[in-house]
Amino acid sequence: MSEVFRVEGLHAGYGAGDILKGVDLCVATGSIVTIIGPNGSGKSTLVKTLAGLLRARQGEILLKGASIRDYTPPRRVHAGISYVPQEYNVFRNLTVLENLKIAREFMSGGRAKGPVVSDELVALFPELPSRFKALAGNLSGGQRQMLAFACALTVKPELLIMDEPSAGLSPKYMSDIFDCIKKVNDTGVSVLMVEQNAIEALRISDQCIVMATGRVRLCSDAASVLDMPDLQTLYLGDAASGHESLNRASAA
Amino acid sequence: MSTVVCFSAILALALNFQWGLGGMVNFGLAGFYALGAYSCALLMLKGGFNTFFAALGAMGIVALVCGLVALVTLRVTEEDYFAIVTLGVGEMLRLVALNEDWLTKGALGLTGIPRPLGELIPPPVYLYFMLALSVVLVAACVWVLGRLSRSPFGRVVRAVREDDVVAATLGKNVLWARVRIFAIGGALIGLAGSLHAFYFQYIDPTQFSTIVIAYAFMAVIAGGRGAHVGAVAGAAAVMLLLEGSRFAKELVPGLESDQLAAVRIIIIGIGLIMLLIYRPHGFMREYRLQVPLKHSPGQARPQPPKEAPT
Amino acid sequence: MLQTAFNGLVTGIIIALPALAITLLFGVLKFPNFAVGSMMTVAAYMVYALNVQLGWPLLPATAVVAVAFGFICIALDYVTFRPLRDRGGITLMVASLGLGFVLENVARFAYGNAARSFAIELARPFRFFDIRMNREQMTAMVVATIAMALMYVLLTRMPVGRAMRAVADNPSLALVRGIDSASIIRWTWFITGVLLAVGGVLIGMDRALEPPMGTSYVIAVFSAAILGGLGSPLGAFVGALLIGLVSELATLVIPPNYRIGIPLCVIALVLIFRPQGIFGQMYIRR
Repeated sequence: MSEVFRVEGLHAGYGAGDILKGVDLCVATGSIVTIIGPNGSGKSTLVKTLAGLLRARQGEILLKGASIRDYTPPRRVHAGISYVPQEYNVFRNLTVLENLKIAREFMSGGRAKGPVVSDELVALFPELPSRFKALAGNLSGGQRQMLAFACALTVKPELLIMDEPSAGLSPKYMSDIFDCIKKVNDTGVSVLMVEQNAIEALRISDQCIVMATGRVRLCSDAASVLDMPDLQTLYLGDAASGHESLNRASAA
Repeated sequence: MSTVVCFSAILALALNFQWGLGGMVNFGLAGFYALGAYSCALLMLKGGFNTFFAALGAMGIVALVCGLVALVTLRVTEEDYFAIVTLGVGEMLRLVALNEDWLTKGALGLTGIPRPLGELIPPPVYLYFMLALSVVLVAACVWVLGRLSRSPFGRVVRAVREDDVVAATLGKNVLWARVRIFAIGGALIGLAGSLHAFYFQYIDPTQFSTIVIAYAFMAVIAGGRGAHVGAVAGAAAVMLLLEGSRFAKELVPGLESDQLAAVRIIIIGIGLIMLLIYRPHGFMREYRLQVPLKHSPGQARPQPPKEAPT
Repeated sequence: MLQTAFNGLVTGIIIALPALAITLLFGVLKFPNFAVGSMMTVAAYMVYALNVQLGWPLLPATAVVAVAFGFICIALDYVTFRPLRDRGGITLMVASLGLGFVLENVARFAYGNAARSFAIELARPFRFFDIRMNREQMTAMVVATIAMALMYVLLTRMPVGRAMRAVADNPSLALVRGIDSASIIRWTWFITGVLLAVGGVLIGMDRALEPPMGTSYVIAVFSAAILGGLGSPLGAFVGALLIGLVSELATLVIPPNYRIGIPLCVIALVLIFRPQGIFGQMYIRR
C-alpha cells in the first residue's frame, strides 16, 4: 500500500517556543487516520500547519512524494488537500449556495465543469439543496458543519484534513458526520482527522495516532487501540512502541 | 523657531500619553489644540483674566471636554472607531471656531492677545523669555508624566491599554481610568494652545489644520510610542526637518510659494509613511523592559496573518 | 422643501460611490482609509487634464482615467499599505492620513489653489413639478445609479465579487478555500480606484475643482459607510442616501455652515450605540 501523505520532523509554533516539536506521521492511500490526544498536545496546531495557515519552522510535508512545505494555503488546495477547520468554517454572510460556489470555483483553480453541486454531493448531503438560499450564519451548528464538509468536497481531494468534525454536534449529526466520512473515504479520498470523540472516530478509522506535548507518542492500527483496556494510559504513557509502529504501517 | 518646537513637544507628549500609554488615539488633536488657544485668548480678551489664570482656565476647559468625550465614548472600545469619533469631535470644534463669529471672529481670528509678563519685559528680550518659559514647561510636563507613568496610576493606564477587558476583571475601574487619561492629555493640549496664543498673539482657524496631527504622530512614532523624552526628541527632530525644508526655496528656484508649501507637506506625508514602515518603534524605548508587541516587525518569521491577508 | 430633499438625494448618490469604496476596503483590508478624499481629488484632476487641457469629451476622459486610476491605486497600496499589512488598524489609518496629505498636495503642486471646472456645455436647468434640476445633477444620478447596479452584479454574481465578500467575512477560511488573497486585494483596490475616479468627477461637476475638494467630503463619506455598516455594500448605498438627505434637510433648521455637523453627529452616535450600523456585522478584532 502506498502512502499519500507524509510528515517528517515537523516543528511549528506561534511565538517564542515550538508547539510542534518534531512530528512524524504518514497516511496510507485511501485510509482514514485519526489523531487523538489531550488538550494542549498540539493537535490543532498540527492541522493548521498542514493546511498552511501556520508556517513550518523545520521538517518536511510531502503530498504524494512532493514537498508542499512552502506552499501557500491556496496552492496546497490546488495540489489536492482539502481542509475543514473546527470553527468559523463557513462564510456566514454568504448563502449556502454561494459558499458552495466559492469552494467550487476556487478550489478547482477555475477548472471545474458541471453543476455546482454534483449528484454525488447531493447524495452525501441530501439536506443541502433545500437550504441553498439561507445565509450560512443562520444555519444550526450541525448544518454548518455539514456545509463546511460539503464545501471541502466540491472538488475531489487527495487528502481531506478535518479538525474535530464532531465538535459541538448533537448525537444525530455526530453519527451522520462519521457516516459521511466513511462514505467519502469509500470513493477513494484519504482522510486525516483530529478528534476528541476518540471511540466514535476510531470505529471508522484505519490508523490511530496519539499526540502529546507536541510529538507523536503512538501510531498503531485503530482496532488495537480500541481494544486497549484504558485509553487514558495512551495520553500519559511514553512512545516506546511508537516508532516501530510507524515503520510497520508504511512497510505494509 | 525653537519655541514653536516646544508647543509641538507638548502636543506630542499629550498624544503620547493618550495613545502611547493609554491606547486612546486622539485624531481630533488639532481641534482640541484650537480649543485651548481660543479658550485662553477669550478668557483674557473677553473675560479679563490675566495670562496665568487664562492658561489654567484653558487647560481646565480642554481637560473637561476631553474627559466628557472619554466618558461618552466609553462603549467604543475598538481603537480605530475611537479615532474616528475623536476626529469628528475635533472637526466640530474647528467648525465652531470658524463659524461662531460673535465669539471667535470666525475666519478673521483674534488679535491683540496679551502674553505673560508682556508689559514687564521689553520686546527684544521677550523672545528669549518665551523660549525659556516654554522649555521649562516642557520639562515640567515630562517630569509630571514621568511620575504618573511610574505610579500605580501609570500601571493601570498600561493595563487598560493592553487589554481593557482583563483590566476590568481585575477590578481596576476602567471607565474612570480612561476618563482621567484623556483629561490629563487634554490639560496638556490646553497648555500648548495657550502658549501658542501667547507666542503668536494672533490666532485664526487656519493655524489648526489637520497637519498638526501629522507632526504630532511623527514625533511620537519617531520618539518611540510610550516614551516621554522620546516624544520631545521626536518633536524636535520633526520640526528640524520641517524648518529645514523651508530652505528648499533656495535650492530649487522657480517654484511658487503655493507649490513650495505643497512640497513641504508632501515631504511630511512621505516622512510619516516611511517612519511607520521602517522605524515604527522609533529611536528610543519605553522605560521598562520592552515586551515584544503582537505586531512587531522585528520578529524573525512573521506568522501568516490571520486577521489581514497579505 | 422638495427641492432640498432632491438636492440631498443627489448629494447622497454622489457620496455613495466613495462610501462603497470605503466599505469594500474596510471589509477586505480591515482599516478605514482616510486618503479617500484626496484620491478622488487626484483622479478628478487627471480627468481635468484630459478634458480641459487635451480637449477630450468628459465621458471618454473619465473612462480612461477610471481604469488608469484603478492601477494607480494598486500601486499605491503596494508601496504604502502592503509593508504595513499585519500591523493593525491604527498604523494603517495614520499611514492613510499621510498618503492623503501627499496626494492632495501633489494636486496642489500641479494645479495650484485656484478653483477650476470641467469643460462641459452649459445647459439650462429644467423643472420637474416644483423641483429645479440641472444637467450635472441628472448626469450624476444616472451615472451613480449605473455604477451601483454594476457593483451589485459584480458582488453577487461574479466570482471575484463573491471572493471579495468571502475574504471580508473570513480571511483565513478564504485561503483554505483556494482564494488567493493577494489577487483579491488587487481587485479591491482596482475597483476602489474606478469608484473614486467616477466619484471625483461627479463631485467636480457638482462644485469647483480645487485641492481640498475631496477631503471636504471625507467626513460625509465615512459617516455614510459607518451608518450603513462598515463592510456592507448595501449599507454604504443606503447610508449615503440617508446622510445626503438628512444633511440637506437639516439646513432648513440649522445654519448651513454647520451642515457637516450632521455626519459628524451620526458618526459619533452610531459608533457609540450601534457600531455595526444598519446592515453591518460585529467584528471581533484582536
